[in-house]
Amino acid sequence: MTTTMELIKALSNAVGVAGRENKAAQLAARLLEPYGKVETTVLGSVICTLQAPKQGQAHLLLDAHLDEIGMIVSYIDEKGFLTVSNCGGVDRRLLSAAQVVVHTKEEDLYGVVCSIPPHLSSDSDKVAKIEDLHIDVGLSGIQAKQRIALGDRVTILSTARELIGEKICGKALDNRASCAALIRTAQLLEGKELPCGVSILLSTMEEVGGQGAKTAAYQLMPTHAVVVDVSFAHTPDAPRHKCGDLNKGPMIGIAPLLNKQLTELLQAVCQREGIPFQSEVMGGETGTNADAIAVTGAGVKTAMASIPQRYMHTPIEVVSAQDVEDTARLLAGVILSGEIA
Amino acid sequence: MINLIERLSALPGVSGDEDAVRSAIIHEIDGIAPWRVDALGNLIVEKKGKKTPKNKLLFSAHMDEVGLIITAAESSGMLRFATVGGIHTAALIGKPVRIGTDGITGVIGTKAVHLQSGEERDKLPKLEDLYLDIGADSKEEALEKVRLGDRAVFDSSFLCFGEDCIMGKALDDRAGCTLLIEMIRSELEYDCAFSFTVQEETGTAGAKTAAYQLQPEIAIAVETTTASDIPDVGEHKTVCQVGGGPVVSFMDKGTIYDQELYRLAMETAREHGILAQPKAGVYGGNEARSLQTAAAGARVLAISLPCRYLHSPACMLKQSDINGTRELLMALLPRLAQL
Repeated sequence: MTTTMELIKALSNAVGVAGRENKAAQLAARLLEPYGKVETTVLGSVICTLQAPKQGQAHLLLDAHLDEIGMIVSYIDEKGFLTVSNCGGVDRRLLSAAQVVVHTKEEDLYGVVCSIPPHLSSDSDKVAKIEDLHIDVGLSGIQAKQRIALGDRVTILSTARELIGEKICGKALDNRASCAALIRTAQLLEGKELPCGVSILLSTMEEVGGQGAKTAAYQLMPTHAVVVDVSFAHTPDAPRHKCGDLNKGPMIGIAPLLNKQLTELLQAVCQREGIPFQSEVMGGETGTNADAIAVTGAGVKTAMASIPQRYMHTPIEVVSAQDVEDTARLLAGVILSGEIA
Repeated sequence: MINLIERLSALPGVSGDEDAVRSAIIHEIDGIAPWRVDALGNLIVEKKGKKTPKNKLLFSAHMDEVGLIITAAESSGMLRFATVGGIHTAALIGKPVRIGTDGITGVIGTKAVHLQSGEERDKLPKLEDLYLDIGADSKEEALEKVRLGDRAVFDSSFLCFGEDCIMGKALDDRAGCTLLIEMIRSELEYDCAFSFTVQEETGTAGAKTAAYQLQPEIAIAVETTTASDIPDVGEHKTVCQVGGGPVVSFMDKGTIYDQELYRLAMETAREHGILAQPKAGVYGGNEARSLQTAAAGARVLAISLPCRYLHSPACMLKQSDINGTRELLMALLPRLAQL
């Protein structure tokens, strides 16, 4: 489990806000290189071919998105304060006094999101709109404009750390936890004969529309796909019926768009191999890359496995290393079952 | 000086639990001046100068910081807490903390933004609805790691950034403690007393008893104060500027300061070419109110560092202000002693 924990932490700490995933992509490529040919798509997604499909053979695509939510610098004022917009669904309630990193072309600059001073905010429970927030980088207007460019991405400073019971807390675990699961899958399959073609896709821009997966799936034209993302693990303030639980295994998705046979295969593999799993039922779209991948070309038989996660889209997302490992075991088991055809 | 601020900033010292900070300060001054710890936990230092002053002087800075106190563990393994000192809910959500002397990691979570209604996204949750997650799966497991009454501090980073700026937790008032340590280490012209006080953030209990036992004629609170020189704040509510030098108070919500001392401080700054600024607004308060009224009373002055984002994981100070404040304190000392 140490390997899995360290893998998750390293991926969490890597930076890759939607549309500028290059640093996270470089780390992922390096981690995948021992297991197959690695290439980068036009839109920056990372593909690792574990086994190229032979003529007429099934081709399984394992997808996890690589990008994380964050902010993007949209204006720099005369005094050096930055205005930002969101890249993906940022929870504005937690930005006050958050330590941030501005990722410029040349360097990483620290800053803090301005918080309203106590004497001006005594009873206010209103949350500022994103465009009304300011980031203080401690620079004069001249300096800030020299060193920071509009379009630079901003992340909340958060280093991955361990909680009790092999749980990990950090930023970007949506969806680096799943990236870790796919890399672990490649490790579990190493040296094994694979009965079908298998490609791993770590896709870009999921948080802003799923452009990375859509185009990479077109490029690969797989016959089957399993999309791995995170889903809600229950916490005291969340609706019970919309959540799974941490530490109870991958949440296997059930939705109109998802392929019934492939979904049942995932469930069967869990049962056969003693891997705990949960069901996540969605009435319409899944809100994940599965929506685009399933309708690629003439259609792709698609299933979903989600890693339960607490506090999604915060700098302190929490996952269980056991759930990540179980997800990898499930995916390796599905491939080795020989039942993808 | 920045190194010392960084070391003190990292230590946990929520009100009533200042032991780690006190030990570190004792380590810094031991052998330089005699010290003692009083009944409440204040660290009292009396340093001999070259001469005996006409007025007995006390410089005071508080050791404690705002934070959390664990109030309950639930069957789910989640912890509940109360705030110690004034912390805005917005500064808590999504932040990691360190709990107790073992520094157990916990996080103040919130349900995912996807699960929030439009109204919820625009409104802060109530403080009493927040909870703390250490990863425990049951009440029993949680209580193996954490005891009720344990304090928790922000687990943020100490960072040097921008143009000579620093940020981190508890700079209020570890920066003040650092200035006092620097004074104790300096050669002083006159005898001086120093108090590193406890429980300022919860009612200035430490300052009351420290001033009672020392009975100074003049007491100076060395503090941090709110700088609101950020966008969208009206000029009249700015209070003071980061980079504007030490802040001298004439009045806040707790104290009307001695007018002669206030004028003397501003004048001394001017004469020594030290950039200084008045606290332009009657806001906040500090332990000067207790230094002023202990025993038969003392004339009080507050010299503060302009600090943005007070009581948050990321208090921000500028090095030039820290240096200027140190200079002003040293320049004021002989003048106050002989006033």
